[in-house]
Amino acid sequence: MFTVNEDLTRKIAHLARLHLTEDEVKTFTSQLREIINYIELLEEVNVSGVKPLTHPFELETPMREDKISHYPKTNEGKSKILDSAPEILYDSFKVPSIISGE
Amino acid sequence: MVDLYNNIKQIHEAYNKKLISPIELTKDYFQKIKASKHNAYLTLCEERAMQQAKKADQILVQTGQVPHDRFPLLGIPIGIKDVLTIEGVRTTCASRMLEHYIPPYTATSVLRLEAAGAIVLGKLNMDEFAMGSSNENSAFGPVLHPTHHDRVPGGSSGGSATAVKANLCIAALGTDTGGSVRLPASYCGIVGMKPTYGTISRFGLVAFASSLDQVGPLANTVEDVAKLLDVMAGHDPSDSTSLRTQKINYTDLIQTKYDLKNLKIGVPNEYFMGGLQPGVDSSVHSALKWCETQGAKLISVNLPHTKYAVAVYYIIAVSEASSNLARYDSVRFGVRYPDKAEQDLVEFYKKARSLFGAEVKRRIILGTFSLSSGYYDAYYKRACQVRRLIQQDFDKAFKEVDVILSPVSPTTAFKIGEKTSDPLQMYLMDIFTIPVNLAGLPALSVPCGKDNEGLPIGLHMIGPAFGDGKLLAIANAFEKGFRINHG
Repeated sequence: MFTVNEDLTRKIAHLARLHLTEDEVKTFTSQLREIINYIELLEEVNVSGVKPLTHPFELETPMREDKISHYPKTNEGKSKILDSAPEILYDSFKVPSIISGE
Repeated sequence: MVDLYNNIKQIHEAYNKKLISPIELTKDYFQKIKASKHNAYLTLCEERAMQQAKKADQILVQTGQVPHDRFPLLGIPIGIKDVLTIEGVRTTCASRMLEHYIPPYTATSVLRLEAAGAIVLGKLNMDEFAMGSSNENSAFGPVLHPTHHDRVPGGSSGGSATAVKANLCIAALGTDTGGSVRLPASYCGIVGMKPTYGTISRFGLVAFASSLDQVGPLANTVEDVAKLLDVMAGHDPSDSTSLRTQKINYTDLIQTKYDLKNLKIGVPNEYFMGGLQPGVDSSVHSALKWCETQGAKLISVNLPHTKYAVAVYYIIAVSEASSNLARYDSVRFGVRYPDKAEQDLVEFYKKARSLFGAEVKRRIILGTFSLSSGYYDAYYKRACQVRRLIQQDFDKAFKEVDVILSPVSPTTAFKIGEKTSDPLQMYLMDIFTIPVNLAGLPALSVPCGKDNEGLPIGLHMIGPAFGDGKLLAIANAFEKGFRINHG
């Protein structure tokens, strides 16, 4: 198996794109250890042959007609969507640059 | 004036007799909300609400009496948990991440309530992103219990429950992923319902755990809960998991007197195995005994996988949450930091996501862990398998019984700060409510007593899937007939 230690917490936090302070790493590691110990209770359940249930009613995904429609329908609608973004440029979401200039 | 009314019928009678107008009542509510110390509201929609009140006034002038067919909620002041969007009104989820978020659309549930004539007073405080059982996880401070100010109101819909009980609105919407409507309803002494999964549209509900989340009404009476459900239930093409079941008139259904005679009540052995606070145990037992005197049959049932429910939930809910909350990237929402030019993309995201509070971070980490390579089969997949076993337990029990009764929570409202340092203890408060979400069933909390400190105790009624109407009828009969022993 594995041990829940501070390195694991840091690794998982990195995967989740969360910055943790050293204090948080410490607290979360001990809480995570306790919670994971608790959820290991599930190991005693015999699940062989049981199909996983991911949704209470296992509905079929409803399909819509394959037709292009525009959302938002108006410029006003567009600006309402952009309004909550921290930075916009040319009517678009501004994202940080991911390719270096060199 | 506000305190003369605590249900929809009373307000409508007052409107019909011209004792008060929607405008006057709405003004009174805002006055009362502003004077209250409960921290129940995060945003007030005063201007918007006064416009709605004015419209209600005009309708009343035209019709003379409340036109129940067209506007069953005409002029009824309600509050909305701040996890449901309203176009143009700040929706924060009690998080710094969405502190300034103005959604461009309105949740279907809210849209339908407003179309029925309801007046939305404001957005209600909650645990951040609906994660919590005490309302202590709000980025904007905890909500106080309506009557015992050193206690929590329960969570995550704590603002909703406190607002209804303290009469800062007549009814409210909450959301219930693992008990977030029923637990605060129980702790505050009101009625709260989680309908069958998919009954109320999730469109406009900010997602926490999509296979578990369900909108639910909170009010002082079962009848009012039924009235709200009536207005909101029904298929919505904007939610792919919205049910296409036939529309039921819940209000009419509970008007016909429901006879508890020969009702088969399931009492799950696993829910009474000790660990209950003595007051909770005795109140629930006297409720069960009363049902028996009405001719109901108590039948002991087994739900053998109950003890795994919290573990299953804290894998599935957090896994779904870690995925749902990946969208908070400071590109479409949130705040950006000025030194961004110095950062690479990963650092950019990490910094932006520091706006999450501790409980949200904890759950994202746990969820990311469960879904990460090497752990997926042992945690997420296994949890989904045990989820099916939990659902099968209920299926089996409902072959024998009509309804299952239990406490909502092992305890009454605990003290603020009492459990914040021990997340696992906090999670265990939801042991009786969580299995219902995992199985997708309808359930509600109805007051059945008080402990020796006067703190309310809720009776948990669980029905089979799609049995929402019958569940409301049983709850209504209980509420009308059972006399709460105050102590």
